[in-house]
Amino acid sequence: MTPRLNMKALLLASAVVLTGLAAQADTLRVAMGFDPLSLDPIASSDNGSIWTQLLIFDTLIRPDRTGEGLEPGLAESWTVSEDGLTLTFKLRDAKFSDGTPVTATDVQFSIERAASEASGWGRFYRPITGFQIVSDHEIVMTLSEPFTPAFNNLALFAAAILPKAQVEAKGDAFFDAPVGSGPFMLKSWTRGSKIELAKNPNYWQEGKPHVDEAVLEVVTEPSARVIKLEAGEVDIALDPPLNQLQELDAKDGITVGQTIPYRADFVQLNTTRKPFDDQRVREALNLAIDKDALVQGVLYGAGKPAASAMPVMAYADPALAPYGYDPARAKELLAEAGYADGFEAELLVDSGAATSRNAAIALQAMLQQVGVTVKVQMLEGGTQWETTKSGSYDMSVSYTTSDTIDPDQIIGFVAVNPERANAYHTEWHSDRLNELYVEERKTLNGPERGAMFQEMVQILHDEAPYIFLYHPASAWATKDNVQGFEVLPTSNFRLEDVSLAD
Amino acid sequence: MFLAILKRLLMLVPVLIGITLLSFLLLQIMPGDPASRALGTRASAEELEAMRQLWGLDKPLWVQYLYFLRDCVTGSFGVSIFHKQPIITLVAARLPFTLAIVAYSTVIALVIALPFAILAAARRGRLTDVAIRQVFVVLIAMPPFWLCYVLILFLALGLGWFPTGGVGEGFLANLYRLFLPSLVVGLSTAALIQQSLRAALIDTMQADYIDTARAKGLRGREIFLRHVLPNSLISTISIIGVRVSWIIGGTVVVEKIFSVPGLGSLLIDAIVSRDLPVIRGLTVFFAVMVVIVNLITDICYALADPRVRLE
Repeated sequence: MTPRLNMKALLLASAVVLTGLAAQADTLRVAMGFDPLSLDPIASSDNGSIWTQLLIFDTLIRPDRTGEGLEPGLAESWTVSEDGLTLTFKLRDAKFSDGTPVTATDVQFSIERAASEASGWGRFYRPITGFQIVSDHEIVMTLSEPFTPAFNNLALFAAAILPKAQVEAKGDAFFDAPVGSGPFMLKSWTRGSKIELAKNPNYWQEGKPHVDEAVLEVVTEPSARVIKLEAGEVDIALDPPLNQLQELDAKDGITVGQTIPYRADFVQLNTTRKPFDDQRVREALNLAIDKDALVQGVLYGAGKPAASAMPVMAYADPALAPYGYDPARAKELLAEAGYADGFEAELLVDSGAATSRNAAIALQAMLQQVGVTVKVQMLEGGTQWETTKSGSYDMSVSYTTSDTIDPDQIIGFVAVNPERANAYHTEWHSDRLNELYVEERKTLNGPERGAMFQEMVQILHDEAPYIFLYHPASAWATKDNVQGFEVLPTSNFRLEDVSLAD
Repeated sequence: MFLAILKRLLMLVPVLIGITLLSFLLLQIMPGDPASRALGTRASAEELEAMRQLWGLDKPLWVQYLYFLRDCVTGSFGVSIFHKQPIITLVAARLPFTLAIVAYSTVIALVIALPFAILAAARRGRLTDVAIRQVFVVLIAMPPFWLCYVLILFLALGLGWFPTGGVGEGFLANLYRLFLPSLVVGLSTAALIQQSLRAALIDTMQADYIDTARAKGLRGREIFLRHVLPNSLISTISIIGVRVSWIIGGTVVVEKIFSVPGLGSLLIDAIVSRDLPVIRGLTVFFAVMVVIVNLITDICYALADPRVRLE
């Protein structure tokens, strides 16, 4: 008996040692649905790349957890002059992960690079025309004419601060093994499979990250992400299938969370065509849709009804309520507009987007109730975009997401005409809204600018060039021992705040 | 033999030119603009134009085609718009996993199919034969995505014998991690092999030279191992050849569910993001692989069966 007992003790002892080691090297494993394509901030527009970059690089300022304000990043303080033409930033004492200090020279280099021809985000930064380096820790940026969004856009990933000397020395190869001042550094990158990150020992936020390593595993299949979480192979599963949320939440050891990101789903109405040129018809279509039912049926409750085509973000008016569900009133409005017997129309939908497809079927049934016969036409996403752009459509299920925390980008996209997309191909236009758009860009951040946005969104809501649908939530599921994890309204996540309880 | 192989390789040239031309033209018809995919729907016209210039999409079609041919000849197959890497580099990173699944699933298929084909042929027409056939018909008919989830639920989540997906480092780790995906692919290969091998065995057993062997006084086991089995396996070679060509690009579903970074998922991602150079480069690469696999199949065939000549 004695030898066997000893064996057991030995096993126990080694188990204790092993768990001890494990506790020392905490690794946080995250399953995400996107395969990062590039770690070059100015050449990225996909979620996988952006989320990874935000863990490796820092920006001067960054969106706070509510997504409506800004908080210090590499800049510990800043001032904006009265006329909005001069932005002054004081840098904190931060270091890149290789130990070299972050200086004003790096800042100028990075912003100029973001504004360059090679940048996919150039128009966000080109309004900044001058740089003046006061000291290693102070930089002044100047604009030749007022453009308020320029400041907020510095909080975007594309304005990440890179070490000038290394980028210049290595060129594109720098982004295969990048060095940043963010909470983590790249340890290894297996394309299509995973990104391994290690804690940046020089990170400026004392005591963070709490974990030693983080692994982002690329698992493109949503059910497979959940399975991995249930099998204990990952600690966090991003974007689980919405129809599994409740069931997941009920499971022991798993916690589910959700947040509403900067996104709005809607149906574009071609206002150059009859009957969509008539505001009464557009209003009737909005009243004919039971948005709560859509949220329950299509999003499985993970989202909320939308009052306009603007994501819920800075300066949003909390008092603006979505159109109610009132089919009787919708019929009256249609009759007033001369469509007492209803009409027929075609509805385009992206065949690859399951949620939009389900929404289209539900819309078809709801609109039939007020006499509008809808033919659903499924198209490949690229074709749908080309078709609405050319203006040969009636209605089209679509959505928009905001890249930056400044609402200027999306109001310009969904409501201003003429602009880049002519009110997102609805061709609707409002002179008053166009005026406000010009004014807002010259007005400093504050209540006055806020009021302008609220008025613009109110006009958009009232004249309804879209059927406003919902703001879908971003969900995640974690093991119970994961603490401090959340997806921010900007869709990314801060792993430096996450810890693993024993 | 060597000359024959060289001749076959030379015949590849016109085939490849045809493939490059076809894949190039087909992609021109495909809707969707890579520039607007890359910049998002909110880009301005000038930005889109700048992006198209950067990628050479504004050049005349024939110039773009010549660039593409140059890339194929120099072996890079072009540069990915989104990954910003030569396509051959992307392929090189993923090919090992795809080839591993090809080889592993074929081994699994043979291990499963051989005994059951022999058993079924031996018990031709009897209950065992019928039962085996039914089981393998079900295997052929089973949708792979469903089988993937069933295996994950029972063997990975339930019993915990296997990981639910992903790949590891090193041969042994991947032998373990790629077992379930290879099993899914291997089971349907096994079904194909079992059916054809059974038929071939039955055919061969009725051949005259088997009667001769029997008349010479050879024992049953010897006849089977030396005459029946080798002669019947020849048909299996061509089935494996066809199947391998298919697996190289056709295991997208299995790759997606088990998170294996193989060539199939690379192609699908490229199609979704309209990464034209990757789609084109991969199409040509797949075509080359199919032609090579066919050549290897023919060589094996010729080695196995002296009557067949490589011409």
